[in-house]
Amino acid sequence: MDSLERIRRTLAFLPCDHPPVIAQVFAHAALARGRSVGDYLSSVAVAAACQIEAQAHYGYDAVFAVLDLTLEAEAAGAEVQFRQGIYPAVVRPPCAPGDDFPRMTVPDPRAAARLPMVLEMAGRLRGACGDEVLVVGLVQGPMTLAVQLLGMEAALFLAADDPDHFLQLLDYTAAVGKAFGLAQLAAGAHLVLVFDPAACPEVVPPGLFREMIGPRLALLFSAFTRAGAVGNWLHIAGRTAPILPRYASLGADIGCFDYCVDAQPLLAAVSDGRLCLAGNVKPLSFVTDDPSGIEREAGQLLRLFDRRGGFILSSGCEIPPESREENVAALVRAALGWKRGQS
Amino acid sequence: MAPDLDTLVQALTEGEREQSLRIVADLVSGGTLPADIITGGVERAMAALDRKCTAEQFNLLEIMLAGRAVMAVIRHLFPEEAALPSPRANVAVAVLEGDIHDIGKAILKILLAGSRFRVIDCGKDVSTSAVVAAAAQSGATAVCVSGLISSVIPQVRALKPALARAGLAHVRVLAGGATLKQCSASALNVDYVGQTAFDAISYLNAMVEARHGQP
Repeated sequence: MDSLERIRRTLAFLPCDHPPVIAQVFAHAALARGRSVGDYLSSVAVAAACQIEAQAHYGYDAVFAVLDLTLEAEAAGAEVQFRQGIYPAVVRPPCAPGDDFPRMTVPDPRAAARLPMVLEMAGRLRGACGDEVLVVGLVQGPMTLAVQLLGMEAALFLAADDPDHFLQLLDYTAAVGKAFGLAQLAAGAHLVLVFDPAACPEVVPPGLFREMIGPRLALLFSAFTRAGAVGNWLHIAGRTAPILPRYASLGADIGCFDYCVDAQPLLAAVSDGRLCLAGNVKPLSFVTDDPSGIEREAGQLLRLFDRRGGFILSSGCEIPPESREENVAALVRAALGWKRGQS
Repeated sequence: MAPDLDTLVQALTEGEREQSLRIVADLVSGGTLPADIITGGVERAMAALDRKCTAEQFNLLEIMLAGRAVMAVIRHLFPEEAALPSPRANVAVAVLEGDIHDIGKAILKILLAGSRFRVIDCGKDVSTSAVVAAAAQSGATAVCVSGLISSVIPQVRALKPALARAGLAHVRVLAGGATLKQCSASALNVDYVGQTAFDAISYLNAMVEARHGQP
């Protein structure tokens, strides 16, 4: 059974040879192959090669056509600061609360800023992996991109003070994500992960998620499904227990849950068998813990989800670049050695 | 009926900035002292928010709206920050070198000011030596650092030794933020790790009470 088939079967809640495991590895792929974060971010050839080599080295079930998390904001006019050894960050949002959001132009994924690099990376990864290993693209979710374009304080105050105008911004950011995601699928990604940490209940109340953000996520997922995505993956970091049960109704097939979400009650909350769950080993554990700790945590998750199925062993969020390689290997080893029903 | 401090507490916790300012204006014209509005209104509102915002229910939007109202009231009553009535302690806040994400620090600043702490903002992406200098100059009794990315951890670990070398071993170091809260205090070499900004306020309140024997 190859990786892609393992993922497809897991999304359908069918048994597999072993549970799929996806280490959310972005720039760690470079460090694990003796390259720097800077090398990874500046060269598509290096980034794609590192992703392919890291997947072959560790043996997990996916590669990521992901550079960093500022690409859409940069393409929409944000000033991005690059620093040695770490991911870039938005230092100057391009928008103001009074801007005419409906008149803003959606960046062309084939031409704007560094977006074409991601499309090239998706193509290279698909060329190397074919239909054996899942190729995952990524777009910023509508709320997170809104925060990047306006700044956190201004975005939240606008959502509270002028919700209709804020919805226009969310419509714009959803349009940016849709265009970029569809381009990634066309370039070779099997699915697009929608990363929306600013939609977390720790940032906005669940009611705002339900009324403002959810409908825009649903639009993205429906567009990706029509374009032939293998599935839809929603990743909101943080304490998402109050909103995770809604993911399936938005069109998500995979919901990532972070380390701070208690897996046991979550299991009961998503018992209808429509949402595949991915998680939730603590990301920082890959830096600070040892392999036995990772295997123990992974084993507890595998036991918990053994009967339900629909589970991808993963980290709660990105595995930090400086993580210890033996810890990533331990995560994979836990899944490869697991036989269904062994609990 | 003239508004009372209870009405102000409710308006502040609900993030109603304009309403809060109207109530404060009425209270002042009715003879309530600004210092009493801070202790009987603003601080009680912060305590109410603390009770509401457990780790499971912490919500940035509601906190920021309440914080905006609180800061508007404080600035209205005390246009000069230095005139704040009898601050509990001086607290430095910082995002250390290598990290430029400062929303956690912004939230903490609001909660500290609303809880009658004088805040020294060291900024973001700042060196430990700059934080030590600011703590020394201001007589800070604590330094709070917020961190979103894991690469900032070495700078956090270095802060207490740097304070000690400057003769500031008594200054408590608190850490928080998305990445730092995944660590233990011993792993970060700090005195305390908070899951939310309110945890830091509770820790500092307890510290002040232990040192002075009064709130």
